[in-house]
Amino acid sequence: MPKIIFVQPCGTRREVEATQGNSIMEAALKHGVTGITAECNGSAACATCHAYFEDDRLSQLGAIEAHEEDMLDFTASERLPVSRLSCQVTVTDAMDGMIVRLPESQ
Amino acid sequence: MANPVPVIDDISLESLYADPYPSFQRLQRDAPVAFVRAAGINLVTRFDDIVQIERDFETFASSNPVSLMNRVMGHSLMRKDGEDHRLERKAIEPSFRPGVVRNHWAPRFRVIADDLIDQFDDHGATDLFGSFAAPMASLSLMEMLGLRDVSWQELAIWSQSLMDAVGNYGQDPEVIRRGQVASDGIDAAIEVVLPKLEASPDPSIISSMLQAEDKHSIAQIRANVKVIIGGGLNEPRDTILTTAYGLLSNPDQRACVMEDANLWSAAFEEAVRWISPIGMYPRRVTRDVVLGGMQLREGDQLGICVGAANRDESHFDRPDLFDILRPKQSHLGFGAGPHYCAGTWVARQMVGAIALPALFGRLKDLRLDEAAEVKLGGWVFRGPLSLPVRWSI
Ligand code: HEM
Ligand code: FES
Repeated sequence: MPKIIFVQPCGTRREVEATQGNSIMEAALKHGVTGITAECNGSAACATCHAYFEDDRLSQLGAIEAHEEDMLDFTASERLPVSRLSCQVTVTDAMDGMIVRLPESQ
Repeated sequence: MANPVPVIDDISLESLYADPYPSFQRLQRDAPVAFVRAAGINLVTRFDDIVQIERDFETFASSNPVSLMNRVMGHSLMRKDGEDHRLERKAIEPSFRPGVVRNHWAPRFRVIADDLIDQFDDHGATDLFGSFAAPMASLSLMEMLGLRDVSWQELAIWSQSLMDAVGNYGQDPEVIRRGQVASDGIDAAIEVVLPKLEASPDPSIISSMLQAEDKHSIAQIRANVKVIIGGGLNEPRDTILTTAYGLLSNPDQRACVMEDANLWSAAFEEAVRWISPIGMYPRRVTRDVVLGGMQLREGDQLGICVGAANRDESHFDRPDLFDILRPKQSHLGFGAGPHYCAGTWVARQMVGAIALPALFGRLKDLRLDEAAEVKLGGWVFRGPLSLPVRWSI
C-alpha cells in the first residue's frame, strides 16, 4: 500500500497507508487526518478538500478536468500551481512516499 | 446489542410545521433514530449519524421503488445512485460551476435584483416575500434553465404544485391534478426552447443537458428540469427571507455586515444553518445496519433531518441563535455526499453576494414592520411565510 505523508500548515507530519483506487481525500478521512473537510464527500462540488501536492510529481496525479479547474479558483486558501482537489486525485502505487500539504483553511 | 428503533406517537405534523426545533432537540437527545408515526418515517437527527449516512450511498440509497417523486416528475438524478447519478450530474455541472456563476449568471442576477427594487412601492412598505424573494429566485432560475416566455408567477406555481404533489402521501386528487398541470406546462415550455438551444448552445442548464458527452434523453431532460424547478426556487427564496429576518432582528450583526461586506457570505451560510430551507430529505436502507446504536432493517425509509443536525449542540455552540460571527464551521444545509446541492455556488452568489447586499444597500433604514407579524412555517421545507418591512424614503 502506498504511503502518503500529510503535512499540516504548522509542519506536523502524518504518514498513512493509502488504499489504491481510493482518493487522497478518502485516505485522509479514513485515517482521521485533520485539515480536509470534504463537505460534498468527493462530488467535486464543495472545494473543501483542497491540498497542495509536490511540484515535481504533479504528472502522477492525473489530469485536471474542467469542473475541478473551475472549482479550484474558489478554495478558501490561496490556489497555487500545485493545488488540487484531493477528492479528484486517485491513489496509485507510484505515489508511494508522496507529500501532501494541507492549507490553512478549507 | 443494537436497540430496536423506538416508535414516537406524540409528535404531530402540526407541531413540526409550527416549530420543529423542540421536537428535533428531544429526538436528538433521547432517540436519534426514531419512527415518528405521524410522519410515517424514521427520522435521523444527529449530525454525526447523517455524515455516516452520506458517506455510504450503497447502504443509504436515494433511489426508491415507491418514490412519489418519480411518479410526479419522472426519474430524476435526485433519485438515482452510483454511475446513473454521476453521468446526469456531470451533464449539468457546466452550468453550475462557481466560475460560470460568477462570470455569466451573477451579472444577470444583479439586473433582476435591481429591477425588482426599482419597482417597490414608493410609500416605503412591502412584503419581501412576494415583492422580492419569490420573483428574485424565480426569474434567476428561469434564466439558468434557459426557459423563455414563462412568467415568474407561473414558474413559482409549477414549483409549488410539484412539491405539493411530491408530498401528497394522502393522494388528494386535486393535488395530483395540479401536479399534472405543472408537469404538462413544463414539458411544453421545454419543447419551445429545445430547437434554439440545439442550434446555438449557451451556458443554460437545458443546453448543458443537450451538449453533454452523455446527452440527456427527452425523458431525462423533463425529469431533471422538474426536479430543479421543484428544488431550486423555494430554497433561495427562503434563504433571502431568513437572512433578512435574522439581520433585521439583530441590529448589532446588521451593523457589522454593513461595515464589512465580506460578512455577507457568513450571513448567508448562517441563515442556511439556522433555519435550513430543506429541513429533511429521504434515504432508503438497502441492508441491515446499525446507526447511532439503533438496528435498521433493509427497506427502512429514513428522513434525514439536516434542519436538526444543523442545531446539534455537540457541533454548534448555542445553536438556536442566529450569529453571523460564529466561527466558520461546516453545516449540512446543502446536504453531503453524492447529492450535495448542485446549486450551492448559485445560491451563494444570488442570495449572499447580490440579493441581500442590494436590498440592505438601497433601502434606507430598512426595518421589520412592527404592525405585522413574521410567521415561519414548515419542517421538510422551512422559511418565513411573509416578511413585511418598512424603510425611509
Ligand atoms: C440556499 C439555497 C439552497 C439550499 C439550502 C439547497 C439544499 C439542497 C439539499 C439539502 C440538497 C440535497 C438533497 C438530497 O440529498 O436529497 C440539494 C440538492 C440539489 N439542489 Fe439545492 N439547495 C439550494 C439552492 C439550489 C439552487 C438555486 C439550485 C438550482 C439552481 C439547486 C439545485 C439542486 C440540485 C439539482 C440538487 C440535486 C443534486 C443531486 O441529486 O445530485 N439548489 N439542494
Ligand atoms: S470533497 Fe467536495 S470537492 Fe472534493
